[in-house]
Amino acid sequence: MRAHELSLAAAAEAIRTRRLSPVELTEAVLDRLDRTEPLVGAYATVTAERALYTAHEAEREIAAGRPRGPLHGVPMGVKDLIDVAGVPTTAGSRVRAGHRAESDSTVAARLAAAGAILVGKTHTHEFAYGLTTPQTRNAWDRGRVAGGSSGGSAVAVSAGSATFALGTDTGGSIRVPAALNGVVGLKPTYGLVPRTGVTPLSWSLDHVGPVTRTVEDAGLVLAALTGPDAGDPASLPALPEPGTGPAHPTASARPSDLTGLRVGVPRTYYFDHVDGQVEAAVRGALAHLEALGARLVEVDTPMARYVQAAQWGLMVPEATAYHERTLRAAPDLYGADVRVLLEAGALLGAGDYLRAQRARTLMRQAWEHLLEEVDLVAAPTVPTTATPVDEETVTWPDGTTEAVSDAYVRLCAPANLTGMPALTLPVGHDADGLPVGMQLIGRPLGEPDLLRTGHAYEATRPVRELARAA
Amino acid sequence: MPTTDALTPPEAARWADRSGLPLDAARHAEVAATAQYIHSVVSVLHEIDFADTPPAPAYRVREDVRGGQHRARA
Repeated sequence: MRAHELSLAAAAEAIRTRRLSPVELTEAVLDRLDRTEPLVGAYATVTAERALYTAHEAEREIAAGRPRGPLHGVPMGVKDLIDVAGVPTTAGSRVRAGHRAESDSTVAARLAAAGAILVGKTHTHEFAYGLTTPQTRNAWDRGRVAGGSSGGSAVAVSAGSATFALGTDTGGSIRVPAALNGVVGLKPTYGLVPRTGVTPLSWSLDHVGPVTRTVEDAGLVLAALTGPDAGDPASLPALPEPGTGPAHPTASARPSDLTGLRVGVPRTYYFDHVDGQVEAAVRGALAHLEALGARLVEVDTPMARYVQAAQWGLMVPEATAYHERTLRAAPDLYGADVRVLLEAGALLGAGDYLRAQRARTLMRQAWEHLLEEVDLVAAPTVPTTATPVDEETVTWPDGTTEAVSDAYVRLCAPANLTGMPALTLPVGHDADGLPVGMQLIGRPLGEPDLLRTGHAYEATRPVRELARAA
Repeated sequence: MPTTDALTPPEAARWADRSGLPLDAARHAEVAATAQYIHSVVSVLHEIDFADTPPAPAYRVREDVRGGQHRARA
């Protein structure tokens, strides 16, 4: 396996045992980036010189016997919504022309402290308000959407131009592109990963999390990101950190044994209006979990009828509120799709917003109740694989049509509304070779259950290859 | 119950203006159509009898988390 293809865990082990140096790894990833960027366009900014400088520093530190941990010397990308000192945060928008971040976001600072090497800033759908990331193409088929809004992060990890990346997720923006590009994405529990220095889309729904090649890698990155932060009012107090310590969920002596795990399989909502090949791949993965000892339990999806209403009732006015001043001063700088949503959001009343907040209360209570009966819920991440770039709607067999963005958000939004953690991992491909993702949704701070289950699946399936189109 | 009448472009312009966002005339029709669609999505929430349910401004995990049996709270 070539260096740019290594998982984070494998790269860390190779660096630890001096079989690979951070400089060799970074050069390999930058070389891969040079070859893939003309094809997929994952990056808004590439920081090659800085990356090599940091890689040499890491090499010296490690050689001097001062390793910082598994992220030390590993190249990564950061969604261009997340501040890195001295680098522009364009948020995919002309509104941010000439921007330069003055300081690191908390997550960028934590990754730097862990010794990770910034390769560049990855493309986002403008201000994260969209599900396609039109600047970037799918890593498996350049005629297909990357997904979004963290499209650049998912494509970079899939194509080999970053060993891991960070994304943000308000209605699926980590999980959607991760699923569509055949990589792993984790939306952590709300408040677990601080958002200080990350441009918001919707404060009450926004999350930051990792995009990686394996579930094990997601746990390694998560461990570097968690912890209280005074700058984010949603930040949780110090807690037992998911994915860390001697009980690391992917470091079990018998990682593939899921005996006793109760996996909820929704009989409503999550398999409605889902492509047949997506459903088949996910049901195949569920059968595999069962073969590993898990018990599949049929469950009903709470308040499914109100998911989109609550999601929009919260996200739309919060997004408009954040952009209020720039929308008044320079509306022409926004892309057409984002501009009209922001403008129309000004017409939503406080009554609608409060109804959405009250619906969230009920939805969370219902999901908590559901997750007393099962340990996690497993379902498709998105109802269809990556759509052609020029298609705006999906037509279902019963003749109904759905906007592509609505379809991609539909199965992800419940975890944003409830704040519960959700992990997507690849579970196969459709007939066109496009990846299919399965989503695991857990209890608040239930990341260890999700990581353990996802890792058990991965550890007993063939190793996945990098994307073919890039 | 909410009205099902379509929002007209002049109404959209007036409401946007009142909320502090004056719109050029060329924007009125498109914003009205999008606002109407958003309204049609969120108005489904009128079906719910919320009784004494309080709003959840943002999610919080209880601080008394123990042994992985974490619970959420408003």
